[in-house]
Amino acid sequence: MFTREDISAAFKAAVPIMLGYVAIGVPCGILSASIGLNALQVFLMCALFYSGAGQFMIPNMWLAASPVASIIASVSFVNTRQMLYSTAFAPWCEGASKRLSFWFAATVTDESFGVNLQQFERGGWSVPKATLVNLCSQSSWTASCVVGVLIGNAIGVPLAIASFAMTSIFICLLVTQKLNVANVVAALCAIVGVFACKLVGLSGPAIFFGALFGVACAFVFSRIRERA
Amino acid sequence: MSWIDFWIVFVTCALTILACRVLPLFLLKGKQLPPRVEEALGYIPPAAFAALVANDLLTPGMFDAGFWPAGAPLVASVVVIVVARLTKSLLWSAVAGVVAYALLTMI
Repeated sequence: MFTREDISAAFKAAVPIMLGYVAIGVPCGILSASIGLNALQVFLMCALFYSGAGQFMIPNMWLAASPVASIIASVSFVNTRQMLYSTAFAPWCEGASKRLSFWFAATVTDESFGVNLQQFERGGWSVPKATLVNLCSQSSWTASCVVGVLIGNAIGVPLAIASFAMTSIFICLLVTQKLNVANVVAALCAIVGVFACKLVGLSGPAIFFGALFGVACAFVFSRIRERA
Repeated sequence: MSWIDFWIVFVTCALTILACRVLPLFLLKGKQLPPRVEEALGYIPPAAFAALVANDLLTPGMFDAGFWPAGAPLVASVVVIVVARLTKSLLWSAVAGVVAYALLTMI
């Protein structure tokens, strides 16, 4: 299924992602350990769930005492953006086998999406190579997270510190979004939505409703602007 | 987190992300998502990350115990924003945030 040439080309393309995942995966493992997840649980998450933002959100919301249903709704909502990537790759997967296309699609992330799309557009790229990029990235992510759990267990990071590390990661993810008016409206309205939910005592689903409110406001805002 | 809670969160989230990753590729077969859907999906990351940050930093009555207990994380967040804009690195942002937060709470 994979030729030698596939493997070396894919590895070359994947190296920057793999290094980036070491830098994020180790802290992710440390934070997962701080809420009492063990190495096996983190390994399962990396192997079968495999979502950086999701794997930071779960410990973060758990620490904030969010109900399980809210965690699931919020994490799933954030991950719906994967539909954009899946749609974008469909034309490139037309000639490939169903099984390989499935495997490829199931292991796409924000970072490997960027790298693979660039390679497909440049030409000479294939679904086997793209799948290998995903697998290299996932291996690096999994290994780094598991190492992080072991480090976290060894040093025992205080919860307040671990929790602020997660907040910092979300701040970075927020301020590196594309800066346009509609995105700013989405972010500000989400903040207002979260605060309003907490005011009326809905602190459990605040993240989900707040984010939903932000998306709705940005959508309405851009409709109004279209008309103006 | 107990094993039961873990299984519920993990299995459900794994299934929803798998559906989002795989279904459009097989069902749309190269057709585009409706433009309005695509637009709405694009607003999710800024809205969701803003909601997560707000949930961590803002609570009604947060300054009731004086400015500093709730103010220190806000000041540390400003440090993180600067570092994040300059480096675009999750790792450096986390390191800067933790160091700033630890120093500020020592004051």
